[in-house]
Amino acid sequence: MSLVLQLLMNGLIAGAIYALVASGFSLIYSTNKFVHFAHGSAVAVSAYFLYLLFSMFNFEFFLSVFLVILFAGAFGLLMDKAVYSQLRKRKASGLILLIASIALLILFESLILLFFGADVKTINLIKVEKGLEFFGAIITPLQIVIIVTSIVLLALLFVFMKRTKLGKAMRAVSDNKDVAEIMGISSTKIFAWSFVIGSAVAGVAGILIGLEQNLEPTMGTNLMIKGFTGAIIGGVGSVPGAILGSFLLGLAENFGIWFLPSGYKDAIAFVILFIFLIFRPQGILGIKKQGDKQAGA
Amino acid sequence: MIEAYLIHLAILICIYIILSISLQLSMGFTGLFNFGHIAFYCTGAYVSALLALNGFPFWVCLIAAGIISAVFGIVLAFPTNKLKGDYLALATLGFSFVIYAIALNWVELTRGPLGLPGIPKPELLGFVFSDNLAFLGLAAILALISYLVIKRVVVSPFGRVLESIRDDELASKTLAKKTFRVKCYSLALSAFFAGIAGSLYASYITFIDPSSFTLLQLIPILAIVIIGGLASLEGTIIAAIIIVLLPEPLRFIGFPSSVVGPARQIIYALLLLIILLFRPKGIDGKIELE
Repeated sequence: MSLVLQLLMNGLIAGAIYALVASGFSLIYSTNKFVHFAHGSAVAVSAYFLYLLFSMFNFEFFLSVFLVILFAGAFGLLMDKAVYSQLRKRKASGLILLIASIALLILFESLILLFFGADVKTINLIKVEKGLEFFGAIITPLQIVIIVTSIVLLALLFVFMKRTKLGKAMRAVSDNKDVAEIMGISSTKIFAWSFVIGSAVAGVAGILIGLEQNLEPTMGTNLMIKGFTGAIIGGVGSVPGAILGSFLLGLAENFGIWFLPSGYKDAIAFVILFIFLIFRPQGILGIKKQGDKQAGA
Repeated sequence: MIEAYLIHLAILICIYIILSISLQLSMGFTGLFNFGHIAFYCTGAYVSALLALNGFPFWVCLIAAGIISAVFGIVLAFPTNKLKGDYLALATLGFSFVIYAIALNWVELTRGPLGLPGIPKPELLGFVFSDNLAFLGLAAILALISYLVIKRVVVSPFGRVLESIRDDELASKTLAKKTFRVKCYSLALSAFFAGIAGSLYASYITFIDPSSFTLLQLIPILAIVIIGGLASLEGTIIAAIIIVLLPEPLRFIGFPSSVVGPARQIIYALLLLIILLFRPKGIDGKIELE
């Protein structure tokens, strides 16, 4: 019984982390309609920036957090302005943008490797504490913070999309860009805003993951694959779907190692990704659109 | 000394040429944006290495590597038949992650992260290609054969069917072309040569581990294909030479290898971005990268 609870708990923690990555990614996808793989580098760069400010320059923790989130938003905007909007001007297809985003992901991964080295870094904010026990499952205070923060943040994101003017404009562009433009919404601005907000969420993800795990240069790629898989399972372009999918993925991975050696944890994610891309590319919550599959053809 | 270094680079160029012109067949000529090419390369390398370590002669390893990779190509063609554009790219990328995870985790077969050391050098008709110059001869001949076969395929009527699928699959279906079967052949042939490249790589380096087959390795190959220009074999060969040689001066400036590795990736990634931004047709692209 306690094993089931422990796996459930681990699954929820993993799911919360994936959800933080996936929700920003999904937000960007919903308006921009292309797969922004370099979202993973926004997470990794934020985590390293926190390390730089907090552990190397000894900034105050909350000031560092604030600066990191700001930095992450600016980082997203920069990627959009320097690369994606240039490509979009030339009416490049989603496929070209995808290739560009993979190039960006590798570019920043290599830059981190160059400046910080291949060895893992740790941000020593919290001393290793004895986990708390819940019905036989062990969870650390930080992990509770991660789950709570992600739920609060995702709820805020949800309210933002539903209630605010900008959120509504984003949904309008995501629904039908041309009609939204007729209504006076500048799609270029909305694209840029979704990069800012999506990447700021990635910044929060980077901070929490940086506190929970070690930092390594490849973390962006690894997290992106998981976040992306979560987004695909839930329905790409739907933020609630991405969150649902991420939690399902976290649980599937952690319960999967009941049957398989733990090394196959990653393989489980890839197999699920593959199955969903083939049989249900619109995901669980996604709505199948005619022409979606034809994108880029 | 400098000679040995140049021979080493020339061998790498040959391997990259085989790898990228075979990707060009599926990507440039058939329009299948296959990001799983690394998976075929990986399969070929592992099949060849495992057979060679169990005492099979080189030609068996080489052909088996090609054939098993081709089978994987057909296996991949079935589920991805209906997918297009970025969905196809992502599904094939997912496939390459699965292959990587298997190479990493099937420890009984692949020794996982420890890799397979001591892969014997190729031996044909009693002649051992232990000398790098001899190996270069072998690699060059295989690269030439790959080029001639793929060239022959793309100029044939079959090649025109491939290009018609790329340009308009529905229209070629209307002309009673069995597009699925044709795509299968294209992917299988492309995977076959990727497997050959993998086999050459394994027997040249004599050591393989899963880290040689990650997303990082996809970038130079994609860069070669896009810089060379879609549907241009000659452009691809020039691009392969450029991509292999471009980061080499870094060594002479005297950077430590911990800098050269990431710097090489940075150069590839930047080059890919620059090409996409400023010259999407590449050196000699026959079709617009859309």
